[in-house]
Amino acid sequence: MKIKTDQYAETARRELGNPNSRVFLNLLPAFLSVMRQAAMQSFPDPAAAHAMGGVIRAEALDRLPELLEQFERNATAAGTKVFWAWDGHAANGYILDLALKHGIGYVTKGKSMITEEIGLNDLLEENGIEVWETDLGEFIAQLLGRPPFHIVGPAVNVPVEEIRDLFMDRIGLEKPTTDPVELGLAARNFLRDKFHHMEMGITGVNMAVAETGTIINVENEGNIRFNKSSPRIQVSVMSLEKVVPTMMEAMHLLRLLCRNCTGQELGAYVSLDTGPKNPDEIDGPEELHVIILDNGRTRLYQDPNLREILRCMRCGGCLNVCPIYRRIGGYPYGWAYSGPMGQILNPLLLGLDRTRDLVQSCTLCHACRDACMTGIDHPGLLLYLRSKAAEGDPDLGASPESWPIAWFFKAFAHAAANPVLWRTTVRLVRSLFNRTAREGRVTKAPGPLAAWLESRDFPAMPEKTFHERWADLERKG
Amino acid sequence: MKDVSLFIPCLVDLFLPEIGEATFRVLRRLGLNPVYHREQTCCGMPAYHAGHLEEAGRLARHFISIFEKDEAVVCPSGSCVLMVRRRYPVLLEAHPAWRRRADALAGRVHELSEYIVDVLGRDDVGASFAGKAAYHESCQLSRGLGVIEQPKRLIRASAGTELTPLNAADECCGFGGDFSMKYPEISEAMVKDKADNFIAGGADVLVMSEPGCLLNVRGYLERHHPGRKAVHIACFLAGNEEAP
Repeated sequence: MKIKTDQYAETARRELGNPNSRVFLNLLPAFLSVMRQAAMQSFPDPAAAHAMGGVIRAEALDRLPELLEQFERNATAAGTKVFWAWDGHAANGYILDLALKHGIGYVTKGKSMITEEIGLNDLLEENGIEVWETDLGEFIAQLLGRPPFHIVGPAVNVPVEEIRDLFMDRIGLEKPTTDPVELGLAARNFLRDKFHHMEMGITGVNMAVAETGTIINVENEGNIRFNKSSPRIQVSVMSLEKVVPTMMEAMHLLRLLCRNCTGQELGAYVSLDTGPKNPDEIDGPEELHVIILDNGRTRLYQDPNLREILRCMRCGGCLNVCPIYRRIGGYPYGWAYSGPMGQILNPLLLGLDRTRDLVQSCTLCHACRDACMTGIDHPGLLLYLRSKAAEGDPDLGASPESWPIAWFFKAFAHAAANPVLWRTTVRLVRSLFNRTAREGRVTKAPGPLAAWLESRDFPAMPEKTFHERWADLERKG
Repeated sequence: MKDVSLFIPCLVDLFLPEIGEATFRVLRRLGLNPVYHREQTCCGMPAYHAGHLEEAGRLARHFISIFEKDEAVVCPSGSCVLMVRRRYPVLLEAHPAWRRRADALAGRVHELSEYIVDVLGRDDVGASFAGKAAYHESCQLSRGLGVIEQPKRLIRASAGTELTPLNAADECCGFGGDFSMKYPEISEAMVKDKADNFIAGGADVLVMSEPGCLLNVRGYLERHHPGRKAVHIACFLAGNEEAP
């Protein structure tokens, strides 16, 4: 997957003017948010159920090394082959070797952000192995060569006419139609054929249960279940934070995940796999490989300020409530993860220098924090990342801040900590600033305010500040 | 008369001093004696939000040394209160003595409507406005400090005022400090929706508790919908809002 996080501002501008994106963005996020709130009310005590999600995830993370080892033991005992991958390179290499060893011609995939993160599809294709995404939206996004627009609806913004043309061109749709049912059928026929002859299925993992060695996937289309039940070889890639202690906790998180993601009490398909097919079973893979991927996460785990982001279960709830995501959609975030969670994950996984806009483009409105099923304080984390960017922390991929900005804040703090200097500065700034004003308003000015003034006025600085009015005010009231 | 210390946000001091005057008048009307420390400047939020913690910490210490003797500090901005109440203790974590002083001050700093309703136990401040008012829930005040009902109670208690619903009242207006200057197009899309919702709701005036939101929303209304009014709650309650 191409990294385009540095094109945030221009992609956002383009998407603001894209009518197809607008149609979707005006409807779906708000709809999903309402559905989420309604679904949460089906808990006897919604606030307690919500809070419990954060408690479970926080506790699981604090026990992460122990739980991962427990998971490995129990999964291995059930016949799963567990592979620890330090980075994407190691994970991709393992999967490619496996495919080559078994002479695999193509693989089918369930939608997984983790394989987007490590760029698995590109590597397999470069090595002559066809890759078929089998989630309908992800399938369309793949055919179009576009990143996911929304974590749950990767191609929900694509107009039906475009899908018609795409399917006629690429998957042999014969009769032109814009009937969604017929288009769905065409994709189904195409993908059923792939499932029928499949040798290797690749999925992500929503949760891994330490006490049983089970991996859990939840979905609404049944394609992940196909990927898990009918191939000879199943490979499931999980980022290492997805482990939880017991089935009891996994089931509570599952309830929250479905409610927060799509407003459902439960997704249409939940599959739990503990090891590959037993000799007396008819379904399931002969080999089950679970890859536990680190890819920079141990470093996040070790930083007490950053560990919190590893609670994320990728429900997408934060996208749906984010007022910025609701305006610009998923493309500007430029990589595997979008919305508020992507504004933290992408910078941490890619480095701060190439994700500057993601860290800055936030009004700190806190809607994401309130919606998060695991209690992540996204604005708090963004403020931390901003401080690391300002400091130029090389461990997080930040180079030192440009000197005019650093100097500006030093000068600002120096003035504001010295009341006499502050008042002198205010008078100076006022005389300069008000040169651009007409009738008490500024409508055009050079400098940082210029862009604001394209769409809004700004007041001139009044002749007297509150400070200068105080004596009169106190006397006369 | 009991003293109450005015914490005037820099944005109010420099650009919207009428909000400070209105705050003064409302508190006077409630029988209090507002005092103003002339050494106050800026709480440091712009530096903090930009990630400049050392500079923000310096201004936090400046603020604390000015205000820490006050029994009650009142501010017509939720975000500035959030900064002092929640951010200062974290900012000064590495300096135990300062951390203690920040903690001691935190509970005595209040946003205006929170102070009137929760501390003074008043709803009716003698305000009057004949017409329909809608209320925009500013993010740092509502989700940040949990102050949502207090301003609405004050508006409802005003003589002649009908508080009308505002669609998506709790959605951000797109200000976000320098967000609005760095990402003006995204910010514009947000403030446009805020303005459209206000106009569609049919209220005569859009009331809000945050000077930053007011600059943004009023600036947009002036440009695109002249004659439509956005006011700060202090001015609304003082009954001296200036028509834009």
